[in-house]
Amino acid sequence: MRRDTQNVLLVLLGGALIKISATDLYLRYVKPGNKWYLLTAGAVILLLAGVSLGRDAWLARSAPRRPAGPRRPAGPRRPAGPHGGGGPHAGRHGHREPHSPWLLMLPVLAIFLVAPPALGADSVQRASAGNSVTAAAGPSDGDFPPLPEGGAPELRLSDFVTRAVWDRSGSLAGRDVTLTGFVVHRGGAAELARLVITCCAADARPMVVRLTGAPDLPSGSWLRLRARLLPGSATAADGYTPSVQVLDAEPIPEPVEAYEY
Amino acid sequence: MSAVASPTDTTDNSSVPSFSDGAPADTAESDTVDSDTAVTTPGGSSPATPATPATPATPAGSDNVHPARPGRASWRRVSSLQVFSAVLVAALLLQRPLAEALDGTSVRIAATVFVAVCVQALPFLVLGVVLSGLIAAFVSPAALGRLLPRRAVFAVPAAGLAGAVLPGCECASVPVARRLIGQGLPDAAALTFLLAAPAINPVVLVATAVAFPGEPAMVAGRFGGSLATAVVMGWLWSRFGRPEWIAARVRQRVHPGSGGARWWVFLETARHDLVAAGGFLVLGGLSSAVLNVAVPASWLEGLAGHLLLGIVVMALLAVLLALCSEADAFVAASLGSLPLLPRLVFLVVGPAVDVKLFALQSGTFGRGFAARFAPTTLVVATVCGTVAGLLALGGAR
Repeated sequence: MRRDTQNVLLVLLGGALIKISATDLYLRYVKPGNKWYLLTAGAVILLLAGVSLGRDAWLARSAPRRPAGPRRPAGPRRPAGPHGGGGPHAGRHGHREPHSPWLLMLPVLAIFLVAPPALGADSVQRASAGNSVTAAAGPSDGDFPPLPEGGAPELRLSDFVTRAVWDRSGSLAGRDVTLTGFVVHRGGAAELARLVITCCAADARPMVVRLTGAPDLPSGSWLRLRARLLPGSATAADGYTPSVQVLDAEPIPEPVEAYEY
Repeated sequence: MSAVASPTDTTDNSSVPSFSDGAPADTAESDTVDSDTAVTTPGGSSPATPATPATPATPAGSDNVHPARPGRASWRRVSSLQVFSAVLVAALLLQRPLAEALDGTSVRIAATVFVAVCVQALPFLVLGVVLSGLIAAFVSPAALGRLLPRRAVFAVPAAGLAGAVLPGCECASVPVARRLIGQGLPDAAALTFLLAAPAINPVVLVATAVAFPGEPAMVAGRFGGSLATAVVMGWLWSRFGRPEWIAARVRQRVHPGSGGARWWVFLETARHDLVAAGGFLVLGGLSSAVLNVAVPASWLEGLAGHLLLGIVVMALLAVLLALCSEADAFVAASLGSLPLLPRLVFLVVGPAVDVKLFALQSGTFGRGFAARFAPTTLVVATVCGTVAGLLALGGAR
């Protein structure tokens, strides 16, 4: 790939990173904390490509081609190039440049043209049934802090599942909670699910709650619901999946932060 | 999209020893208008270059007919910038069909995972190439030589411990290790650093402690297993490794110049390393995405009672999924049905060898290197992880 093509491609790549981090698109792929990494990386890429483009243009103009000589702007360029003394591999016009940079077009095109959606119900359906929770997720003595006061406090789905499985203090008993997630139909049962990511969507793990008395909605529709834990669920027998009685459900659009973290 | 598909099979181009500043190179360079002579450089300095590329940018033959006067033929040749624009226009026109093609469940998941892996890893790659540029421009080979003990037996563990200071995932350490070798650090020490940096830096260890509260042995086991893997690989390399396994281009030393020129060296080195490694990062992300969808969840079910099988499967899984080393602890923690030992092996193997790293290594150090280094690392990491786990966890549990 030619050097100027590489630089144009880098401009697009840096632009793609800045585009997704300046909008909320990046939340489909990584967690919110990555925003500044992405902006910085995009800016650095733009800088590297921009300076290189500018310098090449300046060198080409300031050192016009000589009539017959095979030696060309290499003169002024050489001392500054990274491989000035013996490594023509990198710096100058691209002989021996591999073709692998072409692959960088794939993420650029994917981001600008398609912008794949956040993972959702399909991923939950492909995962094995049940929640993969560990003792790791909560205090080891099983004593969780009490829920906030109020009618139906808002809980993250992963927190709700953790409490349902590990809390020995009974903080969920008889309490209404408000949960947000998307509907998944699996094995005849309706479930409310959320995907939890740590780094990026590649490590997404589902958290699910089994619904009783939920409105009949297709898989993937987002719901905000008031619900109450059914006692005796969320044990090893049901794959640590809490069952809840739905008291009230309200369809909502997909939130900007589709994942929990 | 043939242009996009071709790179994978032309990687050999880059592992050919680069020619020096001789006449052929200058002849090729004299073509200011179109220097896309990468594949067809006249002068016979491209022994292993089959006329592979499907890229329309290099129509076969036309270059070799008039090697000495590229200027005359250049108007007829298609430049890579034109191909690039054509691909862009085609993709824009085909936007709707493309989006529809992504409608299948698996394809859509894979597309999201692919973009996610690239987006997550690129900032780390940028960090790596910036460090690489700084090393090239501001750290003299002599200063590098003084950093480590002279004898490999001691230099290797020292390099392993030095890996603890580079916070970041695998993608950052590959360009840095490459530049360290280029600037004259012994191969064994640089490779030890390559393996240690993503595995034992503080960020990763803290993430492991958070994912496994109440199990400090997992952190200890991870640190011990990963450091042991890096050091053993370094010693193995200094005993059995051959310099020629690493592509010659890696050893081209950068002469930093002085004053303001250093900054040009920095910019150009970072830019070059980014372009060189970026494509392979994408390749790694692609394979990781495909495997992410293709590896069935049922692999993990029914492993609970089989410790040995669990260790082997988890080691393979670490290679195939190519998770970032800051996230793998949380995935391992979520696999509650498995004993701790196989999960520790998962944590030790993942940062040392996976498909993304393999792609990056073969692009950076050459395919011959990666084909030898990666399988050996897998075996060593599995053994070291198991032993460290047995010691730290106090048995198989």
